[in-house]
Amino acid sequence: MKNNRFLPVLVALVVIILLGAAFYFVRPHTFHGTVYQSAEEAPNFTLNVANGKTVKLSDFRGKIVLVYFGYTFCPDVCPATLGVVTQALKDLGAKADEVQVIMISVDPGRDTPEKLAEYVKHFHPTFIGGTNTPEEIASIASLYGIFYEVSGQTTSNGDYLIDHTATLMAIDRDGFLKVVFPFGITSDELADDLKYTLR
Amino acid sequence: MKHSLLARIFYGFAALLVVSAFAFKIIQPIKVLPRIRLSPAFSLTDQNGERVTNEDLRGKIVLYTFTYTNCPAPCANLDATMQDVYARLDEANLGEIPFVRVTVSFDPARDTPSTLKSYADGLSANRATWVFATTDDEALLKTIIGVGFKAYYEKKADGSYAFDPTFILVDGWGTIRGEYRYSTEVSTADRILRHLSVLADEVHNATGSAKLAYEAAHLFLCYAK
Repeated sequence: MKNNRFLPVLVALVVIILLGAAFYFVRPHTFHGTVYQSAEEAPNFTLNVANGKTVKLSDFRGKIVLVYFGYTFCPDVCPATLGVVTQALKDLGAKADEVQVIMISVDPGRDTPEKLAEYVKHFHPTFIGGTNTPEEIASIASLYGIFYEVSGQTTSNGDYLIDHTATLMAIDRDGFLKVVFPFGITSDELADDLKYTLR
Repeated sequence: MKHSLLARIFYGFAALLVVSAFAFKIIQPIKVLPRIRLSPAFSLTDQNGERVTNEDLRGKIVLYTFTYTNCPAPCANLDATMQDVYARLDEANLGEIPFVRVTVSFDPARDTPSTLKSYADGLSANRATWVFATTDDEALLKTIIGVGFKAYYEKKADGSYAFDPTFILVDGWGTIRGEYRYSTEVSTADRILRHLSVLADEVHNATGSAKLAYEAAHLFLCYAK
């Protein structure tokens, strides 16, 4: 019976390794943005989109909605972020149908619904771009924590620039704010989080 | 006396359980503050007539309250709580994390920067640690305070205001982490300070593999009382 002395130790070791492996494989998904446990739906909003139509956030229950605040004159930050989103949707394949991207203009003075539609089409055919009155935009942006202002800088064409908070927000199928992604998220990271949320 | 193999395995596990229970008790499970919702964005004018925005406050933990300087006696409690929290800030172990108090007035017609300045001076408030601010855009102000911070206020016919005394705790990422609207047996300052220390622990410790444990605490709603 000499061999049996070490058997309990061996059994304990195997159990510990199995527990470790189990934890590794079922560990909670680590999001690449900040996760929220909101107790209420994200603030609803109405946007004027191309062809005289309007859309509301609440029209998209059942889909993951990615909300982004930007403007069509935006030289670098907005195209970069929308490009990352486009790539992430490609990585999702057919599942991308369950994601709706909405860009809200922080430049209601220059961005018309038609201009926004034309702009977002360059990134993805399903993207929606919308605007509203300056007062409504100020209110929507505030409730999504988005600060924006006309910056002192202009482009070489003399167009003014707008500084704005560049976060990307994911609203879940039930309309609750789920994740806030910082500027600089990669398409792989975004696709990873979207796949998990869409599972 | 010889134990059977099964018995030894059983005792082994029993011992492991007891050790884990002690370890759990000693280490204490991680507590976190919920990420309630996004703090609203704003651009206000402070007691020095300078602009203060939510982006200026990014990276700082901010304690907000909402009032008006013509408020009769009860509002003094709000100021007292703000002072109490700051005086006892050591209890929160914030370390190098910057902390700012912001009192937002919902009476911009009377609370001009100079009025706010003399009010702040009356409380010996230093702009670096206690901001008093408001904006003339009353519609937007209502959205910011009433909808964004969910702090109710309403102007009455006699020019005074009906409002719910509210404190809101916002982290450095612009996320609302604590809302204090009702009096309990525990003083509001005590609760705010305890929550500040929970928040400071998360900021200090939630890095590397420990981040996983903190995210799990969020997932399993291990919220501080």
